[in-house]
Amino acid sequence: MQNKLTFHQSSVSLEIIGLPDYSNNENKDQISIISQWKLTIVDKPLIEGKIEHLGPIMDAFYIYSNLLIKNEIPIYESKLIDIKADNLHIHNIVLKSSKANVKPLVLKIGNSLLSDTINCFDQLNESPKVRIKKTFITTNIPKKLRFGLNNKVKFFNLFIPPLIAICSLILFSSTFIYFYSPFENIEEKELNKF
Amino acid sequence: MSNRLDLNDVLPNKITIWKLRNNNPLRKSFVKNNIKVNELDALIKITVEMSKYLYPYIREILNSKEDIKENSIIWNDFNKRFIELIKERFNVDSMRVKKLLNQAENDEIIIKFLLILSFSISNQGYQKLKNFLYDF
Repeated sequence: MQNKLTFHQSSVSLEIIGLPDYSNNENKDQISIISQWKLTIVDKPLIEGKIEHLGPIMDAFYIYSNLLIKNEIPIYESKLIDIKADNLHIHNIVLKSSKANVKPLVLKIGNSLLSDTINCFDQLNESPKVRIKKTFITTNIPKKLRFGLNNKVKFFNLFIPPLIAICSLILFSSTFIYFYSPFENIEEKELNKF
Repeated sequence: MSNRLDLNDVLPNKITIWKLRNNNPLRKSFVKNNIKVNELDALIKITVEMSKYLYPYIREILNSKEDIKENSIIWNDFNKRFIELIKERFNVDSMRVKKLLNQAENDEIIIKFLLILSFSISNQGYQKLKNFLYDF
């Protein structure tokens, strides 16, 4: 008997079906081995798939929503899903099937459905009853953003280590500091003359 | 609400919140009080809590803008009230405030504000909103 958990947010619901991992002594109502998931958006075709598709789709929505807010170009492209903004209010989602000869599923959702979907994924992420293993995916994040991310990392790596080194050197050497006073030396020399 | 969020030490009353709001340089009543980290955190927590409570309304406003031909009343009312509040409380001589008041430009800003709030209603909403604000 499989467990079923549903997360609702206004017009969107996400259903997770699976089993607990008994080898980890998990509770009966836990889901760690996800066998199926279904994302239902009102007035839109049902989206469902295997566990290996859920992680990439969630990531796609999260990355896209971040791009949307951060004034970046809101485009997300991967082997599985593309999300692009038609305009400020409508988002175009293309879900590509892994099976041959199956046409991609195209959905248009507004900001309200996008935020419902994100909130459903948040509920799933925060649920103690479901454990999702993160999968690695290759994505085509816009070059502008990638460049920005790389730059940030390089800038940080470039300046922080020498800065820490200089700070620690100053702190260490300040304990042995010797203030050189030229006036004292002049007085000593004059005294020696007499 | 501050009772429920256990923020009584930081925000004991409405006057404290009112004073903290005045740290916003866009406001007419801007006073530089040097807001503390715990005060900023408390304001973010209250904003997240308010967003959870107001999510159905936020959603309706966003939805109204999506099909403006059929359902324009909610968006128009919200936009009108938003502009009224900005004119009443913000320094309208500031260029950034002028941008908020410009009806040709402010749609995008308002939608982004609403989206940020609607994305921050989860239990991790405080951290999400904080990240959005630091990146803004």
